[in-house]
Amino acid sequence: MTAEKHIAAGQVEEWVLVDEQDVDLYVRQAANSVLRIVLVNFHSATNVLHIDHTASNCRTEVYALAFLKGKEHVETKTCMHHDVGEGVSEQVVKFVLDDEAKGAFVGELKIKKDAQRVEAQQTNRNILLSRTATMRTQPQLEIYADDVKASHGATTGQLDESALFYMRQRGISPESGRRMLLHAFMSDIVEKVSDEHQRQVLVDAIDGVLE
Amino acid sequence: MMNLLEIYDLHASIAGKEILKGIDLTIRAGEVHAIMGPNGAGKSTLSAVLTGNEQYEVTKGTVLLNGKDLLSMPAEVRAREGVFLSFQYPVEIPGVSMVNFMRTAVNEKRQYEGKEPLSATAFLKLMREKRALLEMADKLNNRSVNEGFSGGEKKKNEIFQMAMLEPCLSILDETDSGLDIDALRIVADGVNRLKTPQNASIVITHYQRLLDYIVPDYVHVLADGRIVKTGTKELALELEETGYVQFE
Repeated sequence: MTAEKHIAAGQVEEWVLVDEQDVDLYVRQAANSVLRIVLVNFHSATNVLHIDHTASNCRTEVYALAFLKGKEHVETKTCMHHDVGEGVSEQVVKFVLDDEAKGAFVGELKIKKDAQRVEAQQTNRNILLSRTATMRTQPQLEIYADDVKASHGATTGQLDESALFYMRQRGISPESGRRMLLHAFMSDIVEKVSDEHQRQVLVDAIDGVLE
Repeated sequence: MMNLLEIYDLHASIAGKEILKGIDLTIRAGEVHAIMGPNGAGKSTLSAVLTGNEQYEVTKGTVLLNGKDLLSMPAEVRAREGVFLSFQYPVEIPGVSMVNFMRTAVNEKRQYEGKEPLSATAFLKLMREKRALLEMADKLNNRSVNEGFSGGEKKKNEIFQMAMLEPCLSILDETDSGLDIDALRIVADGVNRLKTPQNASIVITHYQRLLDYIVPDYVHVLADGRIVKTGTKELALELEETGYVQFE
């Protein structure tokens, strides 16, 4: 899916993109517009999301999840450009990688010199389920305005062993415990999908991969 | 009376360092055993080894639960056979609701016993009954396991889970730590009400205070990986006076 989109002033959009092979979006947001993108991948793909705030009071939310097995690989790049002040952006990007899967996240966040009072947040959380899975993460923050709130954080780790033991001590099998922890890890992305039917389709798809 | 738990010459180590250096202990149904001792004596190691924590290596010894070889069972099977640990530091599990967690635990145990899973209605009714025992709020159901719970709520939640799972052997690891006197009373009342002639408890504690509320039949002093003294509840009072210096 390759597209250039313009979101008109005051417009509210939510795009749910599940297992698209390649996403290359260039989006320009006008004043007071809201864009939410939920991007989910279970197979190899390259994603580029380029979003410009061209006027004030824009809001952008990017929630991305890749859950990969085998030799699947996903690279997701976001280019979040605050060209004008008073905008808000929130990005939560998660990868769950098993077997020899590979993930990459490049998060470019630019706040121009006069784009004051921007609130920009970028979070990248990754779980590696095998020793041979790999994750590369690369935040690129370029902030030229001085009156902004910008934060980013990236962590890559394994499933919480102490939580798994706690569950086993209550009689829960390691398989069920893993499944519950992974569901919990992915649920905050899934919950962002407003449409109940679409959300259920996504939950079922995740269940399918978890089996 | 039947032997519920038998421990013979148990040795265990972590990262090559021996912590338990030959524990012998027999617990019969209906009994409460307190294990006291200085920090680093191996109290928490004993609970970890009994519950199947794989960080510890058992290097020698035998443990039987109702006559079955406990040490050969994985942690989840020990739990389904009736071993319950009230954790000193209950783990927070963000995103996993109490109701989902508890239903999975109860139904996997039932499946192990060859029983049908509980219906949603029966399960929620059971949750409600057991919550009342610990004076816990209804909102608990939809909260993530232990997430954002106060110290007292976490310990109540442990005993609540114990009430739900009805274990034959409960190990209470420093259950009194971090509890104010009201929470301590509620937790201890809960434990006492769950006591039956068929089950038994091991109460691990550093202080005598908890034993005013949960009265033990036997008190053991654990020091440097061995049980060095066994007595009745008067021993705990004596230790309160003298401290553990004599055993260090």
